Amino acid sequence: MSSRTHRTGWVYTTAVSWRVVVQRFSFAFLLSLSLGLLIVGQSKPVLIETFRVRAIDGIAPVLDVLSRPMAMVDSFSGRIHAYRGLLKENARLRTENANLMKWQNAVLTLDNENKELRSLLRYKVEPSLAYISARVIADTGGVFVHSLVVTAGLLDGVREGMAAMTGDGLVGRIVEAGEWTSRVLLITDLNSRIPVMVMGSGEHAILAGNNSPRPKMLYLSQEARVKVGERVMTSGHGGVFPPHIPVGIVSSVEQGAIEVTPITALGRINQIRLIDFDLAGGAVNLMASEVKASENR
Amino acid sequence: MIGSFLQKIGSSARPFLPVASGFVFVLFSAVPLPFPYIGSIAPTLGLAAIYYWAIYRPDLLRPTAVFVLGILSDVIHYLPIGLTALVFIAVYQIALSQRRFFVKQIFFMLWLGFGAVSLLSSLVNWTVMSFYDGAMLPFIPVLMQFLMTLMIFPLPAWLLIKVQRRFLSQE
Repeated sequence: MSSRTHRTGWVYTTAVSWRVVVQRFSFAFLLSLSLGLLIVGQSKPVLIETFRVRAIDGIAPVLDVLSRPMAMVDSFSGRIHAYRGLLKENARLRTENANLMKWQNAVLTLDNENKELRSLLRYKVEPSLAYISARVIADTGGVFVHSLVVTAGLLDGVREGMAAMTGDGLVGRIVEAGEWTSRVLLITDLNSRIPVMVMGSGEHAILAGNNSPRPKMLYLSQEARVKVGERVMTSGHGGVFPPHIPVGIVSSVEQGAIEVTPITALGRINQIRLIDFDLAGGAVNLMASEVKASENR
Repeated sequence: MIGSFLQKIGSSARPFLPVASGFVFVLFSAVPLPFPYIGSIAPTLGLAAIYYWAIYRPDLLRPTAVFVLGILSDVIHYLPIGLTALVFIAVYQIALSQRRFFVKQIFFMLWLGFGAVSLLSSLVNWTVMSFYDGAMLPFIPVLMQFLMTLMIFPLPAWLLIKVQRRFLSQE
Protein backbone atom coordinates (compact mmCIF):
# COMPACT_ATOMS: atom_id res chain seq x y z
CA MET A 1 0.00 0.00 0.00
CA SER A 2 2.69 2.40 1.05
CA SER A 3 4.76 1.60 -2.02
CA ARG A 4 1.70 2.33 -4.16
CA THR A 5 1.28 5.82 -2.67
CA HIS A 6 4.95 6.37 -3.17
CA ARG A 7 4.69 5.42 -6.82
CA THR A 8 1.70 7.72 -7.40
CA GLY A 9 3.62 10.55 -5.81
CA TRP A 10 6.57 9.89 -8.05
CA VAL A 11 4.43 9.83 -11.17
CA TYR A 12 2.67 12.97 -10.03
CA THR A 13 5.82 14.99 -9.36
CA THR A 14 7.36 13.87 -12.64
CA ALA A 15 4.21 14.84 -14.49
CA VAL A 16 4.09 18.24 -12.83
CA SER A 17 7.75 19.01 -13.47
CA TRP A 18 7.38 17.71 -17.02
CA ARG A 19 4.46 20.07 -17.49
CA VAL A 20 6.50 23.04 -16.27
CA VAL A 21 9.31 22.11 -18.66
CA VAL A 22 6.85 21.76 -21.55
CA GLN A 23 5.32 25.14 -20.71
CA ARG A 24 8.68 26.91 -20.60
CA PHE A 25 9.76 25.12 -23.72
CA SER A 26 6.54 25.76 -25.63
CA PHE A 27 6.87 29.51 -25.07
CA ALA A 28 10.39 29.58 -26.47
CA PHE A 29 9.40 27.18 -29.24
CA LEU A 30 6.35 29.17 -30.38
CA LEU A 31 8.24 32.44 -30.20
CA SER A 32 11.03 31.12 -32.40
CA LEU A 33 8.50 29.46 -34.70
CA SER A 34 6.82 32.85 -35.25
CA LEU A 35 10.17 34.49 -35.88
CA GLY A 36 11.15 31.70 -38.25
CA LEU A 37 7.90 32.06 -40.20
CA LEU A 38 8.48 35.81 -40.44
CA ILE A 39 11.98 35.35 -41.83
CA VAL A 40 11.03 32.56 -44.22
CA GLY A 41 7.93 34.45 -45.34
CA GLN A 42 9.91 37.46 -46.48
CA SER A 43 10.78 35.74 -49.74
CA LYS A 44 7.07 34.90 -50.22
CA PRO A 45 7.44 31.15 -50.70
CA VAL A 46 4.59 29.44 -52.54
CA LEU A 47 3.83 27.22 -49.56
CA ILE A 48 3.04 30.13 -47.24
CA GLU A 49 1.07 32.00 -49.90
CA THR A 50 -0.98 28.87 -50.63
CA PHE A 51 -1.60 28.41 -46.92
CA ARG A 52 -2.85 31.99 -46.62
CA VAL A 53 -5.24 31.62 -49.55
CA ARG A 54 -6.59 28.29 -48.29
CA ALA A 55 -7.02 29.63 -44.77
CA ILE A 56 -9.02 32.64 -45.98
CA ASP A 57 -11.17 30.30 -48.07
CA GLY A 58 -11.74 28.23 -44.95
CA ILE A 59 -12.88 31.05 -42.68
CA ALA A 60 -14.78 32.90 -45.40
CA PRO A 61 -18.18 31.52 -44.27
CA VAL A 62 -17.64 32.90 -40.76
CA LEU A 63 -16.49 36.27 -42.10
CA ASP A 64 -19.48 36.27 -44.42
CA VAL A 65 -21.90 35.79 -41.53
CA LEU A 66 -20.16 38.39 -39.34
CA SER A 67 -20.14 41.01 -42.10
CA ARG A 68 -23.84 40.70 -42.90
CA PRO A 69 -25.35 42.59 -39.94
CA MET A 70 -22.93 45.46 -40.54
CA ALA A 71 -23.87 45.62 -44.21
CA MET A 72 -27.53 45.70 -43.12
CA VAL A 73 -26.93 48.59 -40.71
CA ASP A 74 -25.15 50.40 -43.51
CA SER A 75 -27.94 49.91 -46.03
CA PHE A 76 -30.53 50.93 -43.40
CA SER A 77 -28.76 54.19 -42.57
CA GLY A 78 -28.30 54.75 -46.29
CA ARG A 79 -32.04 54.33 -46.79
CA ILE A 80 -32.85 56.88 -44.08
CA HIS A 81 -30.51 59.34 -45.75
CA ALA A 82 -32.19 58.63 -49.07
CA TYR A 83 -35.70 59.28 -47.69
CA ARG A 84 -34.65 62.64 -46.33
CA GLY A 85 -33.56 64.05 -49.65
CA LEU A 86 -36.12 62.28 -51.80
CA LEU A 87 -37.74 65.34 -53.41
CA LYS A 88 -34.49 67.07 -54.21
CA GLU A 89 -33.00 63.84 -55.48
CA ASN A 90 -36.00 63.28 -57.72
CA ALA A 91 -35.73 66.71 -59.32
CA ARG A 92 -32.02 66.23 -59.84
CA LEU A 93 -32.54 62.81 -61.39
CA ARG A 94 -35.20 64.16 -63.77
CA THR A 95 -32.82 66.75 -65.20
CA GLU A 96 -30.01 64.22 -65.27
CA ASN A 97 -32.25 61.70 -67.01
CA ALA A 98 -33.25 64.21 -69.68
CA ASN A 99 -29.59 64.95 -70.20
CA LEU A 100 -28.65 61.29 -70.34
CA MET A 101 -31.39 60.53 -72.88
CA LYS A 102 -29.73 63.00 -75.21
CA TRP A 103 -26.43 61.26 -74.58
CA GLN A 104 -27.93 57.84 -75.14
CA ASN A 105 -29.22 58.93 -78.53
CA ALA A 106 -25.83 60.32 -79.38
CA VAL A 107 -24.11 57.12 -78.26
CA LEU A 108 -26.48 54.88 -80.20
CA THR A 109 -25.99 56.93 -83.37
CA LEU A 110 -22.24 56.88 -82.87
CA ASP A 111 -22.31 53.17 -82.12
CA ASN A 112 -24.15 52.52 -85.36
CA GLU A 113 -21.81 54.72 -87.28
CA ASN A 114 -18.87 53.02 -85.61
CA LYS A 115 -20.15 49.58 -86.63
CA GLU A 116 -20.61 50.69 -90.21
CA LEU A 117 -17.14 52.21 -90.37
CA ARG A 118 -15.66 49.11 -88.79
CA SER A 119 -17.30 46.86 -91.32
CA LEU A 120 -15.92 49.12 -94.05
CA LEU A 121 -12.44 48.82 -92.56
CA ARG A 122 -12.78 45.11 -91.66
CA TYR A 123 -11.82 46.11 -88.10
CA LYS A 124 -11.33 43.19 -85.74
CA VAL A 125 -13.81 43.68 -82.92
CA GLU A 126 -12.34 42.76 -79.56
CA PRO A 127 -14.47 40.93 -77.04
CA SER A 128 -16.22 43.20 -74.58
CA LEU A 129 -15.27 43.24 -70.93
CA ALA A 130 -16.86 40.87 -68.49
CA TYR A 131 -17.61 41.80 -64.91
CA ILE A 132 -17.62 39.65 -61.82
CA SER A 133 -19.54 41.09 -58.89
CA ALA A 134 -18.47 40.35 -55.32
CA ARG A 135 -19.31 41.34 -51.78
CA VAL A 136 -16.69 42.61 -49.33
CA ILE A 137 -16.45 40.34 -46.27
CA ALA A 138 -13.29 41.68 -44.65
CA ASP A 139 -11.79 45.12 -44.69
CA THR A 140 -8.26 45.16 -43.38
CA GLY A 141 -7.70 48.82 -43.94
CA GLY A 142 -5.21 48.66 -41.11
CA VAL A 143 -2.18 50.78 -40.47
CA PHE A 144 0.21 48.68 -42.52
CA VAL A 145 -1.93 47.02 -45.18
CA HIS A 146 -4.92 48.33 -47.13
CA SER A 147 -6.80 45.38 -48.56
CA LEU A 148 -10.23 43.77 -48.87
CA VAL A 149 -11.39 40.16 -48.93
CA VAL A 150 -14.23 39.59 -51.40
CA THR A 151 -16.59 36.70 -52.13
CA ALA A 152 -15.45 35.68 -55.60
CA GLY A 153 -12.58 33.39 -56.45
CA LEU A 154 -11.05 31.12 -59.05
CA LEU A 155 -14.35 29.25 -59.42
CA ASP A 156 -16.02 32.50 -60.50
CA GLY A 157 -13.25 33.26 -62.96
CA VAL A 158 -11.20 35.61 -60.81
CA ARG A 159 -7.50 35.76 -61.60
CA GLU A 160 -4.57 37.58 -60.06
CA GLY A 161 -4.02 41.06 -61.46
CA MET A 162 -7.67 41.79 -62.26
CA ALA A 163 -8.81 45.36 -61.73
CA ALA A 164 -11.36 45.91 -58.96
CA MET A 165 -13.78 48.81 -59.16
CA THR A 166 -16.99 50.21 -57.77
CA GLY A 167 -19.53 52.17 -59.78
CA ASP A 168 -17.40 55.26 -59.18
CA GLY A 169 -14.00 54.04 -60.24
CA LEU A 170 -10.95 51.92 -59.59
CA VAL A 171 -10.29 50.67 -56.05
CA GLY A 172 -7.44 48.22 -56.52
CA ARG A 173 -6.37 44.92 -58.00
CA ILE A 174 -6.52 41.24 -57.13
CA VAL A 175 -3.32 40.02 -55.47
CA GLU A 176 -4.49 36.60 -54.28
CA ALA A 177 -7.26 34.39 -55.58
CA GLY A 178 -8.59 31.40 -53.64
CA GLU A 179 -11.33 29.01 -54.70
CA TRP A 180 -14.20 31.24 -53.62
CA THR A 181 -12.57 34.31 -52.07
CA SER A 182 -9.90 36.70 -53.23
CA ARG A 183 -7.87 39.58 -51.89
CA VAL A 184 -7.97 43.09 -53.34
CA LEU A 185 -4.97 45.34 -52.69
CA LEU A 186 -6.32 48.89 -52.52
CA ILE A 187 -4.72 51.71 -54.49
CA THR A 188 -3.74 53.37 -51.20
CA ASP A 189 -1.57 50.43 -50.07
CA LEU A 190 2.17 50.95 -49.87
CA ASN A 191 2.74 48.21 -52.43
CA SER A 192 0.21 49.44 -54.99
CA ARG A 193 1.51 50.84 -58.31
CA ILE A 194 -0.99 51.77 -61.02
CA PRO A 195 -0.15 53.21 -64.47
CA VAL A 196 -2.34 56.30 -64.81
CA MET A 197 -2.77 59.38 -66.94
CA VAL A 198 -4.16 62.82 -66.34
CA MET A 199 -7.33 63.51 -68.27
CA GLY A 200 -6.96 66.42 -70.65
CA SER A 201 -3.19 66.85 -70.71
CA GLY A 202 -2.72 63.11 -71.16
CA GLU A 203 0.38 63.09 -68.95
CA HIS A 204 1.37 59.58 -67.93
CA ALA A 205 2.50 58.63 -64.44
CA ILE A 206 2.52 55.86 -61.86
CA LEU A 207 0.07 56.20 -58.99
CA ALA A 208 1.89 54.89 -55.92
CA GLY A 209 0.11 54.11 -52.66
CA ASN A 210 1.78 55.14 -49.42
CA ASN A 211 -0.63 53.82 -46.76
CA SER A 212 -2.15 57.31 -46.46
CA PRO A 213 -5.61 58.15 -47.82
CA ARG A 214 -4.00 60.03 -50.72
CA PRO A 215 -1.62 58.16 -53.06
CA LYS A 216 1.09 60.08 -54.94
CA MET A 217 1.87 60.38 -58.64
CA LEU A 218 5.41 59.33 -59.56
CA TYR A 219 7.55 59.45 -62.70
CA LEU A 220 5.81 62.41 -64.32
CA SER A 221 7.79 64.06 -67.10
CA GLN A 222 9.77 67.19 -66.18
CA GLU A 223 7.61 69.58 -68.14
CA ALA A 224 4.32 68.10 -67.03
CA ARG A 225 1.91 70.69 -65.63
CA VAL A 226 -0.71 69.12 -63.42
CA LYS A 227 -3.36 71.26 -61.77
CA VAL A 228 -5.48 70.62 -58.70
CA GLY A 229 -8.90 69.27 -59.63
CA GLU A 230 -7.80 67.40 -62.75
CA ARG A 231 -9.13 63.87 -63.15
CA VAL A 232 -6.81 60.88 -63.12
CA MET A 233 -7.65 57.60 -64.84
CA THR A 234 -5.94 54.36 -65.73
CA SER A 235 -3.71 54.57 -68.78
CA GLY A 236 -3.84 50.90 -69.65
CA HIS A 237 -0.05 50.75 -69.89
CA GLY A 238 1.38 47.39 -68.96
CA GLY A 239 -1.76 45.65 -70.14
CA VAL A 240 -2.96 44.83 -66.65
CA PHE A 241 -5.82 47.30 -66.45
CA PRO A 242 -8.24 48.51 -69.07
CA PRO A 243 -7.61 52.17 -69.87
CA HIS A 244 -9.95 55.04 -68.93
CA ILE A 245 -11.22 53.76 -65.61
CA PRO A 246 -11.59 56.80 -63.33
CA VAL A 247 -9.14 56.62 -60.42
CA GLY A 248 -9.18 59.94 -58.62
CA ILE A 249 -8.81 63.69 -58.63
CA VAL A 250 -5.59 65.65 -58.14
CA SER A 251 -5.97 67.16 -54.69
CA SER A 252 -2.65 68.90 -54.12
CA VAL A 253 0.44 69.87 -56.10
CA GLU A 254 3.31 70.91 -53.87
CA GLN A 255 7.00 70.99 -54.77
CA GLY A 256 6.65 68.25 -57.29
CA ALA A 257 4.67 65.99 -54.96
CA ILE A 258 1.28 65.40 -56.54
CA GLU A 259 -1.40 63.81 -54.38
CA VAL A 260 -4.53 62.19 -55.71
CA THR A 261 -7.78 61.70 -53.79
CA PRO A 262 -9.35 58.38 -54.82
CA ILE A 263 -12.72 58.82 -56.49
CA THR A 264 -14.23 56.00 -54.42
CA ALA A 265 -14.56 56.35 -50.65
CA LEU A 266 -12.25 53.44 -49.88
CA GLY A 267 -13.27 53.39 -46.23
CA ARG A 268 -16.72 51.99 -46.95
CA ILE A 269 -17.02 49.59 -49.82
CA ASN A 270 -19.65 46.85 -49.68
CA GLN A 271 -19.79 45.67 -53.27
CA ILE A 272 -17.16 45.64 -55.95
CA ARG A 273 -16.87 44.35 -59.48
CA LEU A 274 -13.81 42.75 -60.99
CA ILE A 275 -12.96 43.38 -64.59
CA ASP A 276 -11.90 40.54 -66.77
CA PHE A 277 -9.44 42.32 -69.02
CA ASP A 278 -7.30 40.08 -71.11
CA LEU A 279 -5.37 42.63 -73.17
CA ALA A 280 -8.55 42.79 -75.18
CA GLY A 281 -11.32 45.35 -74.91
CA GLY A 282 -10.53 48.88 -74.00
CA ALA A 283 -12.37 52.09 -73.56
CA VAL A 284 -14.59 51.55 -76.58
CA ASN A 285 -15.68 48.15 -75.38
CA LEU A 286 -16.02 49.36 -71.84
CA MET A 287 -18.46 51.98 -73.10
CA ALA A 288 -20.18 49.55 -75.44
CA SER A 289 -20.73 47.02 -72.68
CA GLU A 290 -22.11 49.76 -70.43
CA VAL A 291 -24.59 50.80 -73.13
CA LYS A 292 -25.54 47.18 -73.74
CA ALA A 293 -26.06 46.68 -70.03
CA SER A 294 -28.30 49.75 -69.83
CA GLU A 295 -30.28 48.56 -72.85
CA ASN A 296 -30.83 45.18 -71.24
CA ARG A 297 -32.12 46.74 -68.06
CA MET B 1 -34.67 15.83 -20.81
CA ILE B 2 -33.58 17.87 -23.82
CA GLY B 3 -32.95 20.83 -21.54
CA SER B 4 -30.53 18.88 -19.36
CA PHE B 5 -28.86 17.47 -22.46
CA LEU B 6 -28.33 20.98 -23.80
CA GLN B 7 -27.09 22.07 -20.41
CA LYS B 8 -24.56 19.25 -20.45
CA ILE B 9 -23.35 20.27 -23.89
CA GLY B 10 -23.30 23.88 -22.77
CA SER B 11 -21.23 23.17 -19.70
CA SER B 12 -18.78 21.01 -21.61
CA ALA B 13 -18.34 23.82 -24.14
CA ARG B 14 -17.52 26.35 -21.43
CA PRO B 15 -13.77 25.67 -21.27
CA PHE B 16 -13.56 26.64 -24.94
CA LEU B 17 -15.06 30.09 -24.39
CA PRO B 18 -11.74 31.96 -24.04
CA VAL B 19 -10.45 30.51 -27.31
CA ALA B 20 -13.81 31.09 -28.99
CA SER B 21 -13.94 34.70 -27.80
CA GLY B 22 -10.41 35.25 -29.11
CA PHE B 23 -11.48 33.76 -32.45
CA VAL B 24 -14.54 36.03 -32.71
CA PHE B 25 -12.55 39.12 -31.67
CA VAL B 26 -9.84 38.45 -34.24
CA LEU B 27 -12.42 38.00 -37.00
CA PHE B 28 -14.48 40.97 -35.88
CA SER B 29 -11.50 43.32 -36.16
CA ALA B 30 -11.66 42.77 -39.94
CA VAL B 31 -15.42 43.12 -40.41
CA PRO B 32 -16.25 46.06 -42.68
CA LEU B 33 -17.85 48.66 -40.41
CA PRO B 34 -20.48 51.09 -41.64
CA PHE B 35 -18.45 54.10 -40.51
CA PRO B 36 -16.02 55.56 -43.01
CA TYR B 37 -12.29 55.50 -42.27
CA ILE B 38 -12.60 53.71 -38.95
CA GLY B 39 -11.09 50.72 -40.71
CA SER B 40 -7.79 52.50 -41.13
CA ILE B 41 -7.40 52.68 -37.38
CA ALA B 42 -9.31 49.51 -36.61
CA PRO B 43 -8.45 48.44 -33.12
CA THR B 44 -6.63 45.20 -32.60
CA LEU B 45 -9.37 43.51 -30.63
CA GLY B 46 -7.66 40.11 -30.53
CA LEU B 47 -4.91 41.55 -28.36
CA ALA B 48 -7.45 42.51 -25.68
CA ALA B 49 -8.78 38.95 -25.52
CA ILE B 50 -5.29 37.41 -25.27
CA TYR B 51 -4.30 39.85 -22.52
CA TYR B 52 -7.52 39.35 -20.55
CA TRP B 53 -7.52 35.56 -20.55
CA ALA B 54 -3.76 35.36 -19.85
CA ILE B 55 -4.49 37.16 -16.60
CA TYR B 56 -7.80 35.60 -15.58
CA ARG B 57 -7.93 32.11 -17.07
CA PRO B 58 -4.56 31.13 -18.56
CA ASP B 59 -5.53 27.49 -17.90
CA LEU B 60 -8.20 27.81 -20.61
CA LEU B 61 -6.08 29.64 -23.18
CA ARG B 62 -2.89 27.70 -23.84
CA PRO B 63 0.09 29.16 -25.73
CA THR B 64 -0.64 26.94 -28.74
CA ALA B 65 -4.12 28.45 -29.07
CA VAL B 66 -2.61 31.95 -28.74
CA PHE B 67 -0.19 31.11 -31.53
CA VAL B 68 -2.96 29.83 -33.80
CA LEU B 69 -5.04 32.97 -33.15
CA GLY B 70 -2.02 35.08 -34.10
CA ILE B 71 -1.54 33.20 -37.36
CA LEU B 72 -5.26 33.58 -38.09
CA SER B 73 -5.02 37.32 -37.54
CA ASP B 74 -2.02 37.54 -39.89
CA VAL B 75 -3.91 35.62 -42.56
CA ILE B 76 -6.97 37.87 -42.37
CA HIS B 77 -5.12 41.17 -42.13
CA TYR B 78 -2.68 40.28 -44.91
CA LEU B 79 0.28 40.81 -42.59
CA PRO B 80 3.49 38.76 -42.81
CA ILE B 81 2.66 35.33 -41.36
CA GLY B 82 4.13 35.10 -37.88
CA LEU B 83 4.02 38.80 -36.97
CA THR B 84 0.84 38.85 -34.92
CA ALA B 85 1.63 35.36 -33.63
CA LEU B 86 4.92 36.74 -32.28
CA VAL B 87 3.15 39.71 -30.68
CA PHE B 88 0.35 37.58 -29.19
CA ILE B 89 2.79 35.05 -27.70
CA ALA B 90 4.93 37.82 -26.22
CA VAL B 91 1.93 39.68 -24.77
CA TYR B 92 0.53 36.41 -23.40
CA GLN B 93 3.81 35.59 -21.68
CA ILE B 94 4.20 39.09 -20.22
CA ALA B 95 0.61 39.13 -18.92
CA LEU B 96 1.03 35.61 -17.54
CA SER B 97 4.18 36.56 -15.63
CA GLN B 98 2.40 39.54 -14.05
CA ARG B 99 -0.98 37.93 -13.47
CA ARG B 100 -0.57 37.52 -9.71
CA PHE B 101 -0.23 41.29 -9.51
CA PHE B 102 -3.05 42.16 -11.90
CA VAL B 103 -5.62 39.67 -10.64
CA LYS B 104 -6.01 41.60 -7.38
CA GLN B 105 -6.03 45.07 -8.94
CA ILE B 106 -8.85 47.42 -9.83
CA PHE B 107 -9.96 47.75 -13.44
CA PHE B 108 -7.95 50.90 -14.03
CA MET B 109 -4.69 49.03 -13.39
CA LEU B 110 -5.77 46.31 -15.81
CA TRP B 111 -6.38 49.04 -18.38
CA LEU B 112 -2.98 50.61 -17.69
CA GLY B 113 -1.30 47.23 -18.09
CA PHE B 114 -3.08 46.77 -21.40
CA GLY B 115 -1.82 50.18 -22.49
CA ALA B 116 1.75 49.03 -21.82
CA VAL B 117 1.47 45.76 -23.75
CA SER B 118 -0.40 47.30 -26.66
CA LEU B 119 2.22 50.04 -26.96
CA LEU B 120 4.85 47.33 -27.05
CA SER B 121 2.88 45.46 -29.72
CA SER B 122 2.57 48.65 -31.82
CA LEU B 123 6.33 49.16 -31.64
CA VAL B 124 7.06 45.56 -32.66
CA ASN B 125 4.56 45.79 -35.54
CA TRP B 126 6.01 49.04 -36.77
CA THR B 127 9.61 47.81 -36.59
CA VAL B 128 8.94 44.52 -38.36
CA MET B 129 6.75 46.12 -41.05
CA SER B 130 9.35 48.82 -41.70
CA PHE B 131 11.93 46.07 -42.22
CA TYR B 132 9.52 44.18 -44.44
CA ASP B 133 8.68 47.14 -46.64
CA GLY B 134 12.27 48.36 -46.65
CA ALA B 135 11.32 51.86 -45.55
CA MET B 136 10.62 53.73 -42.33
CA LEU B 137 6.84 53.71 -42.20
CA PRO B 138 5.00 56.76 -40.85
CA PHE B 139 4.58 56.39 -37.11
CA ILE B 140 1.55 58.66 -36.58
CA PRO B 141 -1.05 56.12 -37.85
CA VAL B 142 0.55 53.49 -35.61
CA LEU B 143 0.21 55.83 -32.67
CA MET B 144 -3.42 56.52 -33.64
CA GLN B 145 -4.17 52.81 -33.75
CA PHE B 146 -2.56 52.34 -30.35
CA LEU B 147 -4.67 55.13 -28.82
CA MET B 148 -7.80 53.74 -30.47
CA THR B 149 -7.13 50.25 -29.12
CA LEU B 150 -6.47 51.70 -25.69
CA MET B 151 -9.63 53.82 -25.72
CA ILE B 152 -12.01 51.06 -26.64
CA PHE B 153 -10.42 48.48 -24.29
CA PRO B 154 -13.20 48.84 -21.66
CA LEU B 155 -15.75 47.57 -24.20
CA PRO B 156 -14.14 44.20 -25.05
CA ALA B 157 -13.01 43.91 -21.43
CA TRP B 158 -16.59 44.41 -20.24
CA LEU B 159 -17.79 41.70 -22.64
CA LEU B 160 -15.08 39.29 -21.46
CA ILE B 161 -15.82 40.04 -17.79
CA LYS B 162 -19.51 39.24 -18.49
CA VAL B 163 -18.57 35.97 -20.20
CA GLN B 164 -16.27 35.01 -17.34
CA ARG B 165 -18.75 35.87 -14.55
CA ARG B 166 -21.63 34.15 -16.31
CA PHE B 167 -19.96 30.96 -17.51
CA LEU B 168 -16.52 30.59 -16.03
CA SER B 169 -16.77 31.69 -12.39
CA GLN B 170 -14.24 29.62 -10.49
CA GLU B 171 -15.95 27.73 -7.70
